Amino acid sequence: MTKIDTTADATEPETTEFVEESTSLVRQFGLTALAIFMALFCGALLLWAAGANPFVAYADMVKGVFTSPAAISLVMGDVVPLLTIGLGLMIAFRAKIWNIGAEGQFLLGALFGGAFAIYSPIEAPIFIIPMTLLVGTAAGAAWGWIVGFLRAHWGVNEVITSLLLVYVAGFIVVYAIRQPMRDPEYFLPQSAALPDTARLGDIPWLDVHAGLLIALALVPLTAYLVNRTSFGIRSLMLGYNPDGTRAAGVNTSKLTVRIMLISGGLAGLAGIMQVMGAETRITNNISPGFGFTAIIVALLGRLRPIGVFLAAVLIGVLNVGGDALQRSQGLPRAVVVVIQALFVIFLLIAERTGSR
Amino acid sequence: MDWGAIFSGAGIIALLNAGIRLAMPTALAAVGETFCERSGVLNLSLEGMLLAGAFTSFMGGYYSGNLWVGVLAGIGGGLAIGILMALLSVTFKTAQVINGIVLVLFATGLTAFTYNSVFGVTTTPPRFDSMRPLEIPWLSSIPGVGPVLFEQSILVYLSVVVIVAVSWLLFRTRYGLTVRAAGEKPTAVDAAGVNVDRVRWVATLVAGAMAGFGGAVLIVGQLGFFRDSITAGRGWVAIALVIFGRWTPLRVFGGALLFGMTDALQLRIQAAGGGIQSGVPFEFFQALPYLVTIGVVIVATARSRDDAMPTALGETFEKESKTKAE
Repeated sequence: MTKIDTTADATEPETTEFVEESTSLVRQFGLTALAIFMALFCGALLLWAAGANPFVAYADMVKGVFTSPAAISLVMGDVVPLLTIGLGLMIAFRAKIWNIGAEGQFLLGALFGGAFAIYSPIEAPIFIIPMTLLVGTAAGAAWGWIVGFLRAHWGVNEVITSLLLVYVAGFIVVYAIRQPMRDPEYFLPQSAALPDTARLGDIPWLDVHAGLLIALALVPLTAYLVNRTSFGIRSLMLGYNPDGTRAAGVNTSKLTVRIMLISGGLAGLAGIMQVMGAETRITNNISPGFGFTAIIVALLGRLRPIGVFLAAVLIGVLNVGGDALQRSQGLPRAVVVVIQALFVIFLLIAERTGSR
Repeated sequence: MDWGAIFSGAGIIALLNAGIRLAMPTALAAVGETFCERSGVLNLSLEGMLLAGAFTSFMGGYYSGNLWVGVLAGIGGGLAIGILMALLSVTFKTAQVINGIVLVLFATGLTAFTYNSVFGVTTTPPRFDSMRPLEIPWLSSIPGVGPVLFEQSILVYLSVVVIVAVSWLLFRTRYGLTVRAAGEKPTAVDAAGVNVDRVRWVATLVAGAMAGFGGAVLIVGQLGFFRDSITAGRGWVAIALVIFGRWTPLRVFGGALLFGMTDALQLRIQAAGGGIQSGVPFEFFQALPYLVTIGVVIVATARSRDDAMPTALGETFEKESKTKAE
């Protein structure tokens, strides 16, 4: 695919650019591989410090993922939210809009979409499935809109607002399933199950829900959006040089709001797909932190659609491997969170030293 | 709900006392962040520093049985994240925003991993008795003021001393002037023969040490136990307070006290069972400190725009080439 975001060359690139065009793909791939190796090496040290044999531990992770079809479908199940959110974050991060509150946008997408499906009087799949997806996406987009609006019109730092809104969204979900939406038949607070007609069924021959198809379809869609549309190019300009972009006649406020609508919308879509495909009801643990892990996915994928896809698969494998590790050796699965963060840390260092 | 009990004389005294106590971890982190941002480093790893400090202070206090060892360990934990942040942002000069966000995830994972590998999954989490309030003779018997200000743990007094000292350092010393200049016009500082990178290293470590101390105040001074992500966003609130306080340590401290009071109030209301009786869900009160923080940032930004913000905040300084022209 030819890259046409050469507009960036007009402005002087900053010190570290995840979307830099100058380095070759081979080189980028090499640096990423090096960073992944270094992160796994540090992870091994950590496992060793915790009293485990790192070789055995990694072997357990690999075995846990690749020797059972069930585990592979678990990986794909994780890829759906990670990829969907990650692509949305990619769009925001390319414009240097640091939306780190995808977790909250995900939760509200799950909640409002789920509520729609549960209370909708019409249960025909042809109506309820697209509408539920739409409502979930809209809820995520609305939560993202707050952040975009505040930044666009009052210059409020989006990092802080997006993150703090995660906590607010969390309390909204806790309240909703404790009070108005609670299923009284259960001791633990959770909502009623979604009607069967509103569920995303499994893909034939694969033990994973149809959300995977939507997530995969988003890869070329977002690629088109960021590489081939004026929206994509303007976003990149906004990231490089906001004042210059404004001077060039771009309505940056509108653009910022739009970017946050899309970014939040995709997180919301991921949330409702999780409920429709995997969870079937809204509980207190619909997300094991997908919204935060997706930040790593977007960065590790170097803010490119294909990269984000590969990163989502890698992180999905690690997540499932971490669960296997916890089962086989009793080692906390949080080790994969450390490794995932180290991926990006080493990638940053590798890029910087590699481009000198 | 019995609003009378909350807003009676004794109720208000208890509220103010708790508000000051609850404000301190956030206040320390926020003032450390102010110092750091003044030097030009946008340190978004603050939540990670606070969390690391909370964790190491718990481990230190738990295994030594000495709370002061816990405090020192907490400072060390915050410093460790500070070293990583400075290494990435100042030495390797990678994008500060990304460094900060990733280090928060790193600290979250590392503390959870270590805590769970040491203690496993238990129904009764290990804990120790946190530090008791120290009643300062005579002063604590002043009616009203005494029980609010002078019946706090020694860590609270120490925090205030540290905060005032950092404020003094930043505005009343030559070194403070250099720090502020590094955040306003690093090229000028460099031209004057001062090593900008070294100044920023030190400032980032100051943030790490203060946030680590803040984590220790939370654990050793209040809770006495640890759990995953126990700092619950206080680091992010602290970054918001820096904007609210317009990069001035004492104003930032004031903002932190306001935050502490909100937190104390929502806890009181919850404890009084207000949620159930008044029809307002208790989740609303739990969300209140976050909502207040968002509101405060909006007002502060909308009113002042960015005129109080250090000019070179978030920009890496390259010695050979020039930094961005703006």
